[in-house]
Formats: sequence, C-alpha cells, structure tokens
Amino acid sequence: MTLVLAGVRKLRTRTATLVGLLIAVVLLAIEFIAVGATYRSSTTLADQKATYDWMLTFPSAYDAVMSLVIGFGGLIALIYVAAVSGTEWSWGTLRVAVARGESRSRYVLATFASVAIVLLIGVLAMFAAGVLAAIAGAALAGLPLNGLTDGPALSQTALKLARSGVAIVGLGAVGYAAAMVARSQMAGIGAVIGFYIGSAFAPFFLPDAIKEIFKYLPFSAAGDAIGVQGPPGVATTTGKVLDPGVALAVTLVWLVGSLAFAALATERAEITN
Amino acid sequence: MTTNGGLALATHGLTKRYGRQVALAGLDISVPRGTVYGFLGPNGAGKTTTMRLLTGLLRPDSGSIELLGEPYVRSDRRRLFRIGSLIETPSFYPHLSARDNLLVIAATGRSVLSSRVDEMLDLVGLRERARDRVSGYSMGMKQRLGIAVALLNDPELLLLDEPANGLDPAGIVALRDTLRTLAASGKTVFISSHILPEVEQLADIVGIIALGRIVSEGPLSKLLESQAIVRVRVRPDEVDRAIPVLTALAGPERVKIEDPAAAWLRVSMATERAAETNRALAAAGVYASGLTSGSDLESLFLELTATQPPETPTPTTAAVPDVRGGAA
Repeated sequence: MTLVLAGVRKLRTRTATLVGLLIAVVLLAIEFIAVGATYRSSTTLADQKATYDWMLTFPSAYDAVMSLVIGFGGLIALIYVAAVSGTEWSWGTLRVAVARGESRSRYVLATFASVAIVLLIGVLAMFAAGVLAAIAGAALAGLPLNGLTDGPALSQTALKLARSGVAIVGLGAVGYAAAMVARSQMAGIGAVIGFYIGSAFAPFFLPDAIKEIFKYLPFSAAGDAIGVQGPPGVATTTGKVLDPGVALAVTLVWLVGSLAFAALATERAEITN
Repeated sequence: MTTNGGLALATHGLTKRYGRQVALAGLDISVPRGTVYGFLGPNGAGKTTTMRLLTGLLRPDSGSIELLGEPYVRSDRRRLFRIGSLIETPSFYPHLSARDNLLVIAATGRSVLSSRVDEMLDLVGLRERARDRVSGYSMGMKQRLGIAVALLNDPELLLLDEPANGLDPAGIVALRDTLRTLAASGKTVFISSHILPEVEQLADIVGIIALGRIVSEGPLSKLLESQAIVRVRVRPDEVDRAIPVLTALAGPERVKIEDPAAAWLRVSMATERAAETNRALAAAGVYASGLTSGSDLESLFLELTATQPPETPTPTTAAVPDVRGGAA
C-alpha cells in the first residue's frame, strides 16, 4: 500500500496528469455544447436527429456521456499510461527502485495500481463534466431535462460507470505493458497510437472473417463492456458487437494479461539505462 | 561456495558480455569490511557494469558475487536492503521536489521513516531547497540528492559510481568528510571513479580495472610505494656523470632519463632516499638543480592501463598481464 500511495504522489502533480484530464474534459464538453448549439439548424436528417436527441435527452444522454468517456478517455488513458510507464525506464527511476532491493513485479503492479486510481478519478471527472456539458447542450437546444433524475436509469448509469472504470483501466493496462516492454516513453506512446489507429481502420480493408477478431481487441471490447446502447442508425466499425458481459470479461483478460506480461518482462529485463 | 565474513564485497571470475562485446572478462575483487575501496579504471573499463551486477540490475554470464559475507544472486533482492547505491547519473522524478522524491524512493525496498528523509536532506545540505522541483536543480545538487538516496537505508555497504561528478569543491570536501565518517563507523564504501586525486585522498584500498579485469589491487600505500620515484635535474652536460651515481644507488633498471632536453632523471626508489641521492651526487661533483620525490596514483594508473591492447578482448585472447600486487 505504501508503494501505491507513493505512486499516487508521483502522479498527482505531474503535468501529463493534469493536461490529459483537461484535454479529455474539454473535448467532451465541446462535443455536447457543439451539438446543442447546432441542434436546431442542422438536424435535417432523421438519423442525425435521432443521434442528437440521444445525446441531449436524459437519461439516454448518460449513455452518450459514457460512450464518449471511453472514446476520448480511452485513447488519452492509453497515451498517458504509456508515458508514465515509459518514463520509469527513461528517467532511471525503475533502476533506483530495483537497486534498493524492491521486487520488480511488485513495483510494476503497485505503479499500475496508482495509475488505475488516477484513471478512475479521471473517469469520474470526465463523467461529471460530460453530464454538465450535456445539460448545457440540452439547454442550448431547448430540450427538456425531465429524465435527468430518472431513478432506474440512474442506478443503471452507476453500474455502467463502474464498467467504464474497468474498461478505461483495462485500456490503460495495455498502454502500460506496451511502454514497459518498449522501455521508453515515446516508443510506448507510438505503439499505442499505432495500435489504436490500426484497430480502428484496419477492419474497413479486411475480409469479414478477419473482422471478427477485431471485436476482441482492447478498444472494441472496452467500448462494448459498458453496455451502452448506441445512437440509432450508427453501426460499429466492425459491424459486430460483443455482449456486455463477454466484453467485460475480454477487457479483464486484456487487463490481467497485460499486467502479467509487463511484470514478467520487467522481471527478466537487463536494466542498462 | 564458502562465505567470507571479513569481506563486504567480493567477486570471483565475474564476466558479462553485451552481445559480442565483453564488458567484464573475469573480474576478481575483494573489499574488506570497514574500508574505502577505490575502483579505478578508464572509460569503458567495466566499472558501471560491475556496479549494475552488484545491485541486481544485470545478470552475470558467469562468475559469482559475495555481498556482506554471503553469496549473492539477483533473486536475493533483500540483501540490497543493506546496501546503498548511486549508479551512473542520479535519477529522479523531475516534477517532484527533493523531499517528495526521497519519500517516493523511500517507499521502495526496505521502508524508511520520513524523519530519515529530512535527516538525509540536512546531511547533503539540501534542506533549504527541499521543496523545490528537482527539474530546477543543478547537476551538483542532483548528485547530492543521489548521495542522500544512497544513504537513506543507513547501509552497511555503499556503492558509489563517480560520486563527485558535478560537485563543487565544497561539495567534494563535504562528500569526502561524509565518506570518511561512514568508514570510521565501520561501514564499507566502494567508489568507482576515474578521477584519481579524489580516490587517492579517500581510499584505503585500490583496485584498477582495465578491459574488464583487475590489473592491480591492494592497499593504496603499498601500491604507491611500488611507484615511489625520485626525480633529479642536473646540467645537460653532467647527465653522463650522474647516471652511474644513481645506478649505484638504485640499480640499473631503475634509472631513466625522463626529459633529455631538461636533463631530468627519474629514479625508482623509496622517497625517503631523496637526501641520500643528493649527497651521493654532490660527492661525485654533480650538483642537482632540481630534486623532487613522491609517488602518485596517476603514474601507476597510466602505466597499468596503458599496457592494455586497444581491441576489445575476448576471454581467450585478452592479453592482460597479471600484475596484481606487484605493479611497476
């Protein structure tokens, strides 16, 4: 626990923590406010109007917020976590811990636990900012807010928020492992961006049989794990979605597998920098 | 393997390769407890690789290590709780203050009380700047903070890689005093360096490494004794008359013309015999216009490390003379 708290101490004043959260919150807010501001003038197509209504009408707006938390937050979380783990190598701080007799695996896992705490705080902050932005967007669009306090919807939202937390932490674990193995901040960030772009666009060019694989990749599985019903008429990239329970299980497999891989790779590593 | 309670650190035939490059080619060192050991070598000789092997950062290809009297392997990480180290450049989180860095580092390995953190900041003279971000620190301040990290656990054995790097003269004096105090209290200090005066002023025992092997090891006084020199300057036209006198005193292989133009003659002999040398020359009618005596680590270092071939050696082809304990 001491090591986890020390990890939080490392992260709380780090510029990347504050900038990452700020970018995620601003992107989320801009999305809702832009939709709200253009709602009356640009909703000429039926599908588009249905999407905008989904985003700005509560309680479905809660789903929209969570969908965007994963969409924006997922990529930012990957990059942030890759940066954090990469600098443990490039700054030589992992070397100092190991030379003091710290267990490599324990250090890797405790550092990730502290990162996970920061990510969960980030998910809550993004959700809160997203709901406020959706309220502002609805007000700009002149839509009512009467579903905002819908009891059953709120309890479902709490569950989905918890799933969002797991999904973001799962994505973070993938970025963490990538940078730990790459032993570099920039290499880790480059790897996760490449992975993100690859998994987002490759399905457009691949045969259907191979597309099936993509729904098990971290971004797809994390998105499906929340259990959010997307806006009507909008298809997923792969055209397929996983059952939320299965997607959550797949995300957990990515989480545990990535951490095990990172710990094992660090245990075996020769620390030369 | 037998254990040796009298040694704080020992390596036996330690080898390490990076791909085809041999970094250590059978390193044997012995560091008695309570001493300051100067680990000297030119750049690329294998000093930092040795440090990394001693702290479990690397795995040796062969050979063995004893730490604090017991055999050590990388999995025995708890042994490192009793060792403090500063390897290469000091490493910190640049966005944190010195105090926060020490608190974060103190959470690793054997946990340390926060009062110890403040004590170390005082010791290295960073108390006043303890709340400033490390990113704004000078190299010397980072070095001092690195020394504070090494001392956090109150270690029995201290491994310091180029500890005086970046320190100002006052910092070097303070470091020297700190290390002397630690050694006097029974702790062992192992310093790797290529700054010879620093080691000469501190070390009880010196090991000189070249191309991954120890080429000389022993008490500094003994090594310097083997390198004792008396230098005599005479008039150029009196060199031929001076040489027989000096040869009679020291022996034929021990007299060399060091600088023919200036007529400096170098005699390998105990420094206490400088006066006797002067008297003998005067008795022969040769009057010295200059006479110095002394012994220096630099000469020994250069002599030992200059004998190494420039190519990267392999364990079977390394042409490293075994001059352990009998240099010069």
